[in-house]
Order: sequence, then structure tokens, then C-alpha cells
Amino acid sequence: MSRLISLNHITKIEGHAKLVLGIKRGKVMRCELSAVEGSRYFEGLVRGRRYNEAHEITSRICGICSCAHVIAAISAVENALGYSPTEQTNDLRKLLTLGERIRSHATHLYFLALPDYLGYESALAMASRHKADLESALRMMKAGNNVIRTIGGRDLHPVSAAVGGWLKYPKKESLAILKKEIVEAKKDALKTCKLFFSLKYPKFDSGAEYFSLVDSKEYAVLEGKFTSQHTSFEKWQYKDFVNEYHEPRSTANFVVKGDHKYMVGALSRLNNNHAHLSRDAKKMLNLSRLKLPSTNPFHNNIAQAIETVHCMDKCIEILESLDIKNEPVEKLKAKESGGVGCIEVPRGTLWHEYSINAEGIITNANIITPTAQNLLSIQEDIRAFVQSAFDPWRGKAHQEL
Amino acid sequence: MDVKKKKLYVFGNRYLEFDSLGTKIAESFSKEISISYVNAPETLLYSKDKEITIIDVVRGIRKPVLIEGASRIRSRKIMSLHDFDLGFVLRLMHELGSDKKIKIIGVPQHGNAAEIAKEVRPWI
Repeated sequence: MSRLISLNHITKIEGHAKLVLGIKRGKVMRCELSAVEGSRYFEGLVRGRRYNEAHEITSRICGICSCAHVIAAISAVENALGYSPTEQTNDLRKLLTLGERIRSHATHLYFLALPDYLGYESALAMASRHKADLESALRMMKAGNNVIRTIGGRDLHPVSAAVGGWLKYPKKESLAILKKEIVEAKKDALKTCKLFFSLKYPKFDSGAEYFSLVDSKEYAVLEGKFTSQHTSFEKWQYKDFVNEYHEPRSTANFVVKGDHKYMVGALSRLNNNHAHLSRDAKKMLNLSRLKLPSTNPFHNNIAQAIETVHCMDKCIEILESLDIKNEPVEKLKAKESGGVGCIEVPRGTLWHEYSINAEGIITNANIITPTAQNLLSIQEDIRAFVQSAFDPWRGKAHQEL
Repeated sequence: MDVKKKKLYVFGNRYLEFDSLGTKIAESFSKEISISYVNAPETLLYSKDKEITIIDVVRGIRKPVLIEGASRIRSRKIMSLHDFDLGFVLRLMHELGSDKKIKIIGVPQHGNAAEIAKEVRPWI
């Protein structure tokens, strides 16, 4: 008997996806995961624009991770023009990135993942019985949001970050309020860890190569080498290792390393960077009993919960040491050049690359999102997971799942 | 309540003709009430106001409408974080037992801003 299952709207993901599964006599014959959002053409949109416009335009790629695109685009342009930001600018960029990760992880964990684990159709359906949990999520989202608004000047599509520095600095009083809010929200992050450690996760080993930035000094955010359990390379070498290809059924490109899948995201970061977790995040990791490295994609939620604690600790650390000085934005001289920006964002590693001519006009652009890098890995994991449901030794619960 | 203490939450995009009428109408009230242009609907979740009055453009209506209470709003299933929209946020507030008084003033996509402002004034 053969059966074709077509899921045109996969729920609870970031973006829009479709899955087609063909099963014949207990064997998965076809498994196609596609991103089905309209084509966006952002790489084309920035061509012909000035180098200091790329981050404002590419920020619109995503409303959830607009800060990520801002910082990645700025990093790529500065890399092209040979500029290294000041320590203060780097700290502000880290805060913006970490604030966005707190907001995104809290939203993902409670509004996308938790209803599935608890058997509800959506967060709305679980609101009456899990009010305290959702209120925890909202407090963490608010804390992350306030980091973005205070540091970046706006809730979405921040306006303070610029090529060569920072346009408008937050006031000292605002930073003090922010720190207090994060200290409060950390209680919710610790509760979130315990909640997600108590859930039952299916046993599954993806066997994927897990990549993230690895920085010798800290849990990588903006700097480091792109590293897996097998290899490590510098940002500027990425085209030698990572290949993009297009499938007509999908609007997002697929990305492979060599000719095989790899994964990026919270679990990859945790696998590669756990030695640099904050003290309380390390305590949570121990409490979780998660054995690292893990290539069970279901453990990504555990990693997100632990990262939320770490990101809050890191924000507090930066806010305690930050003594804002009014540094003017460096005016960078245009030259014919090319540069790569690569940073860690909520869903994984984000790449921006720009070529700039002597007049400061962008002549070429390449953007690789975490979703594009994870797409093949997710597709192959679904294929293997569904196939495993037909294993005769599997229980009924696994088959129903 | 002192009318100057009232706040109007404004949704829409002033740069898009089909989504801008709410912002134009709100501007005409700016001397009397506090206007808050909303970038992200979740802002409402953290509002300390006891009454939340919203103005937004509604597709398919010819005359302004007033919707009172979040229980009347039907929200789509949340497919992705991009669907974390106004409807979802208001339904979530309702399900979490919020006692805030919600009023939504829906205005058409097209029309005379000054005329429609006169019609919606009593609802603010």
C-alpha cells in the first residue's frame, strides 16, 4: 500500500514551509521539505545601494531577527572596508544580539514548542491551565524586547547601530532599569529550564555535523571560527566549505557542507561552546543531564532554555561594565573591496557577504540564513524519524507520534 | 476621565496608501489625546493602561466600526512567529484573564480622513 502525505502549512515554525511524504509498504520513498514564502530578492535589492544602507534594507528580511541582519550586514561592510569597531560598539552590538535571542527563545519555547509537548493546539488553548508559564514567557519576551528598544532605539528594525559605530547612545538611567528587569526575568529563565528539562523528548540521533562559531574567549556571539566536531575554518573561507543550491520546489536555497547536511542553532552552539557558559547556565546544563555533544534535534529546546539563562547573565555582565562614552561614528573611506560578516543569531549562524566598488556602491551580495542551512538537515531528520516509526520494535506511541 | 490622559494605540503604515488612514485620523486627535504608534502588537501585553483603544484599517468595510472586547475577535492558528499579530495578542490577553477594557476602532482602507475622524470621535 502506498500513501502520499502533503502538509501544505506546517505550523509552529519561523517562516512558512511545506512537507510532502511518500510512503510505500512501510518505506519512506519521498520526503521533500520546502520553504514556500514568496521570493524576497534582498540580495538584488541591496545591489546598487551605498554600503551604509545594506543593514537598513536587509533588516527587513525578518521581523523576528531584524537585529541579527543589521549586525551581520554592518560586520560584513566593516570587514570589507578594513574597520574594527571599538570595544564599546562591540558591547552594544552584543547586547542587541543577545536581547533578540532572549526574546526569540522565550517566544519559540512557549508559543511554538510547549503546546506540542503538552498536547494543546496552540498557546491560546493552554492559557487557562498554564497561565503562570505563559506569564513567565511574556516577562522574558518583554525583557528581551526592552534590551532591543533601549540599545537599538526601536522594538523592531533597530536604528542606532551603524557602519563605523553607534548613532544614539542609551542613557545611563535606562541601562540601570534594563539591568534590573533582566535580573527579574532571569528567575523566569531558570524556571523555564526546569520546565523544559521535565518534558519527554523522543530518542533520535540525527548524526548531523553541528556547526557554530567558536570563540576562544567567550560563548561565541559576534566573533570566532565556524567550527564543527570535525573541522574549523575562518569566516572568509566559507565559500570553500559551504555550497548553496536551489531546488525549484523551494523559495529558500538549500545549503550543504561538501555534499552533506549540517545543523546550526542553539544545540550546535551548546555542543561547541558549553565551556564558556555563565555559572548559572552551567548549573542548569548539569541539572538537565543532557549529554553533550547531542545531535538529537529535539534537544534544541533544552539548549534554547539554557542559552536564555546564559544570554541574560551576559547582558547583566555587559551592563555592569558599560560606561558609555560619546564616540563619534567613524566615517569609512570607500574602496573596492569585499567582506564577510558571520554572527550567531537565534536560529544559528548567519552569513552576509558584500562586494563594494571604489565609489562605495554594493556590487554583489550573498546572504545565507540559518533556516537555509538547516533545511536539508530537517528534511533528512524527518525522513529518518518517520522511517523509524515503521521499525517493528518501536512501540505504538512512537508510531502515533 | 480627563480626555487628555487618554491614549490611542495606532496600527498601520503611514507610507502605504491602503494602510495609512488610521494614522491620518489619529493625527487629527493628537492635540487632545496621547498617540502611541505601535511597531509590534505585543507592546499591548505590557501596557499599564486600564483601557486600550486601538485604531486600525480594516479591509472590506465602507464605514467605521467599533469592536468592544477581545472575546469577539477570532484569531488564526499561530502558524509561525510571523502570525504573532494583533488578533493573537488580544486573544491571548483575554485568555490570560486580562481585565483591560479593549476597544478597536476599525476604519476603511480609503476615505476622507477628516470626515471619518468626526464619526469615530465619540468612540475615543
